[in-house]
Amino acid sequence: MNRRTFKWLLAAALSALTLLTACTSESPAGPDDAPRPGSLRILASSELSDMKPVLEQVARDTGIEVRPTYMGTLDAVELLAQGKAEDRYDAVWLSSNDYLRLRPEAAAQIVSETPVMSSPVAVGIKPAALTALGWQPENVTWAQLEQAVRDGKLTYGMTDPARSHSGFASLVSVASALSGAQSALTDADVTKATPRLKEFFAGQKLTSGSSGWLAAAYKRRGNVDALLNYESVLENIPGLTVIRPEDGVVTADYPLSSLASSDTATREEVRRLTEALRGDTVQRLITERTHRRPVVASVAPAAGLDTGRRRELPFPGSRSVADGLLSSYENELRRPSRTVYVLDTSGSMEGERLDQLKSALTSLTGDFRQREEVTLMPFGSGVKKVRTHVVEPADPKTGLNGIRKDTAALSAEGDTAIYTSLQKAYDHLRSERDTFTSIVLMTDGENTTGADAADFTAFYKGLDPGQREIPVFPILFGDSDRSELQGIADLTGGRLFDAQEVSLDGAFKEIRGYQ
Amino acid sequence: MRRIAGIILAVLLIGGVAVAVVAGRDEGTSTATKTVRAVIGSEKAEFFADPEVVEALAAKGYTVKAETSGSWAMEGLDLEGYDLALPSSQAPAVALAAKYKVTGTLPRPFYSPLVVVAHRNAAEVLASNGLATLDEAHRGTLKMDSYLDAARKDRTWQELKGAGKYGELTGTLYLSSTDPQTSNSGALYLAAASYVDNGGKVVAGDGEVDRAAPLLNKLVRVQGAQQSSSDAAFRDFVSGAGNPLVVVYESQVASLLADGQKPDDLVVLYPDTTVNSDHTVVPLTEEGKAVAELLAEDETLRALEVRHGFRPQGGTPKFADGATYLKQELTGVHQAAVPTSKVLHELARRARA
Repeated sequence: MNRRTFKWLLAAALSALTLLTACTSESPAGPDDAPRPGSLRILASSELSDMKPVLEQVARDTGIEVRPTYMGTLDAVELLAQGKAEDRYDAVWLSSNDYLRLRPEAAAQIVSETPVMSSPVAVGIKPAALTALGWQPENVTWAQLEQAVRDGKLTYGMTDPARSHSGFASLVSVASALSGAQSALTDADVTKATPRLKEFFAGQKLTSGSSGWLAAAYKRRGNVDALLNYESVLENIPGLTVIRPEDGVVTADYPLSSLASSDTATREEVRRLTEALRGDTVQRLITERTHRRPVVASVAPAAGLDTGRRRELPFPGSRSVADGLLSSYENELRRPSRTVYVLDTSGSMEGERLDQLKSALTSLTGDFRQREEVTLMPFGSGVKKVRTHVVEPADPKTGLNGIRKDTAALSAEGDTAIYTSLQKAYDHLRSERDTFTSIVLMTDGENTTGADAADFTAFYKGLDPGQREIPVFPILFGDSDRSELQGIADLTGGRLFDAQEVSLDGAFKEIRGYQ
Repeated sequence: MRRIAGIILAVLLIGGVAVAVVAGRDEGTSTATKTVRAVIGSEKAEFFADPEVVEALAAKGYTVKAETSGSWAMEGLDLEGYDLALPSSQAPAVALAAKYKVTGTLPRPFYSPLVVVAHRNAAEVLASNGLATLDEAHRGTLKMDSYLDAARKDRTWQELKGAGKYGELTGTLYLSSTDPQTSNSGALYLAAASYVDNGGKVVAGDGEVDRAAPLLNKLVRVQGAQQSSSDAAFRDFVSGAGNPLVVVYESQVASLLADGQKPDDLVVLYPDTTVNSDHTVVPLTEEGKAVAELLAEDETLRALEVRHGFRPQGGTPKFADGATYLKQELTGVHQAAVPTSKVLHELARRARA
C-alpha cells in the first residue's frame, strides 16, 4: 500500500470510529460504551450484524450480553494498529485475522483467538446465466469465470476490497487463481497476472462499501449476472445459485479474539462467550440462520451448503504483497471511478460549514484513485461552476492540485437549488464511459429554488436506462432535510450518509467505498 | 491486577503473545488450600480449568492459579511471586531455569508429540506416492525425508498420481503450521524439519543454521499468513477450511476424541521423525515443586492428563479412542532433539524473513 492509501485507511478508521453511534449502535438510548460486567463491547466486522438472533440466544443461555460496534474489517485493523481499540472494546470479532496478522502493531493487541464459524468466498450466479453458460455449479473454475467475462457473457458486482474483507478475500481468491500461483501470492505473481486480472475486473459492474447495499443495487440493476461475496451473504440473496470455484477459495473463519488490554475477568467472559458460541446447539443455530459453516465436527452445515472440499488459497504472508495487490486493484485493475460532487455553497454555508467542506474535500484528495475523474459542481441558486479533473497515472499531482485549488476557491452565496443542480450533474454525465459513475450530493439545507422533487422525479424517469444506473449518494449535513435526501437516494438507487452526528469528512470517506 | 498488567506489558514489549486467564478457581473448595501461582502454555489452560483437575489438586491441598503465556514469551516475563512456570517445551524451560537459577532436573510430567492431521483424500494421495504409509483408516506415518525432498523441489499436488480426482488437491504440497516466532508448535515443526535436513543431527552453530535456513524459509513462505496459535489452526482444520495438512499436537486430537467426537475426514499422520512437546516445569518455590510432583505422580491427575490428550511420563496412555486414530505407543517414531533456545529463535526468524 502506498503512503497515500495508508493515510487514508488511518483517517477512515478514525472516522469510522466516530460513525459508530450513528449507524451501528444496538442500543436505543444512544452511546453506550461504558464497561459493564456481564456485557462485552465487541468490535465486529459489519457482516456480523446478521448474528443478532444467535447472540440473543447466547445471552439467554449465559447471561453475557454483547454490545457490538460494526466496522469494516480493514478499518478495524487500522483502529487496533493505532492502539485506539484498547479502552473502548473488550473483544474483537472480525471475519478473519489474516489481514490483522500482517500488521504487527495490531496483532500485538490480540492475546487469543478462536474461530467460531466459517464461510468461503463464492460466486452467486443467476440461474439463467448459469444455463446460458452451460455450467454445472459444482465444477466451475475461476478460469472459466474469467473466460466468460472476456467473452462478454458475464458481469458481476463485488464489495470494495479497501473497505470490506469480503471484497479483499475475493480479490485474493481471483488473483491467486488467475496468476497460477501454486503457493502464497508474491509481488511477482501479482505483476505477472496484471493483464489477466485487468480483463477480469473489466466485468465488474457494481462496487459497494457494504455487502447489504451491493445486494440491493444488484436487485435494482437487474442486468448484472453475478456477485462475488462470502457464501453466507450470497445464500441470503434470493434467486442466486452459489458456486464455490473448484480451483480454490479464501475462507473467513470469524475468530473471536480477546484483547491484551482487558483484565482477567473480561477475558474469562470472552472465553465463556466463545465456548457458548461453539456449543452444538448454537453452532446449529448459526448455520441454519446465517448459512455460515459450523466449526465443530459434530454439527453438519445447513441444508444447501455443498460439503465438497475446496482448495484453500493461501492468504498473502506479507503486508507488502497484500497492500501491493490492494493498491494495484484500486489504481490499475478496476474500472476507474467517475464522480460528480454536487456541493452546496449557498449563503447558509458561510463560515464554519464551508471550512468543514473545504477541509473534508482537501483531505479526500489523498484518496482519489489513479484514472479517477472528479467533477466539482458547487451550487447556490444554480450551478456556479463545473470543474473536472482527472488523476492521470503519469502525473497524478496536477489533477489533485487542481481539485485542491478549486476547493480553496469555493465561496458561500445564494439560495439552495438542489434538484436543478442534480439535473445538471446528470446532464454532465450524459456521455457514457466505462467507469463506476456516481453523484455525491452535499447540502446543508432544504431545496429553496429551481426544480422541485416532482420535477426531478419526472426528469430522472425520462433518462436513458444507462443514466438511470447512476446513483446519487446524498450527505445529510447541517439543516438538510432527511426525508428529502432519502427520497433522492431511493429514487436513484443511492444511499444516504449521515454527517449531522459525525464529521463531513467521515461521510465523504465512507462514500469512497461506493465510487 | 497490577501484576497481570505487568506481565502483559512485558510480553508486548518482547513482541510475544500472551494470554492471562485465571484457569484455577479458589471458590468452592471447602478445605483451606495453598494457592500456587503458575504461568502455563495456552494448550494447558483447559486442563487446569477442568473442575476435576481443580478438585484433584485441592484434595492434595493446592489451588493453582494459572495465567497463560506463549512458551517463548515466558522468557520475557518477570516471574517474581510465581511458584512455577510450565512452558510446552524443554528449551524455554531450560532458559527460564538458568534465568531464575533453578538447579536440578526439571520435572517433565507429560508430553505430546507433534503430528500432522490430514484430510483422508490428501492422506491417500501421499500414501500412494510413497510420502506416507497408512496402517489404520485414520492413522499413518509421514515420511519426513520424502516430504522435505518434495518441498525442496516445490512439488505440487497435481504432480502426484491420484490427486487429479480431488479438485481440492492442487497447488504446492505443504504442511501448515503456526507462526514459529510466536507459537511453540510452529517452532517445533522447524526443529523437526531442520533435524531431518541436517542428516539426523540437531542444528547447532552458525554454519548449520545457514545451511538449514533456505529450506525452512521455503516451508514457511509457501504458507502465506500463518495462524498464531495451534488451537485456531486445529479448529480450522476440523471445520474443513484451510490446508489439508496441518501440524498440531497429538494432545489436541486426543482431546477432541475424548469428547466423543469421531471426525470421519481426519487422518493422523505421525512424522517418522518428530519432536515432542515436553511440558516442562520450572519450579520456582517449594510449593511449585510439590505441584510438579503431583502432576507427575498422582494417579488421578495422570488419568486426567490422558483425558486431555497428554502422555504422562513412564507408562503408555490409554487414549479413549482405542487405536483408530492414535498410536498408543510411539514405536517407529523417532524423537528429534530440539535446538537450543537461541538457535531455534534464529531459525524461526530466518524462516519468516
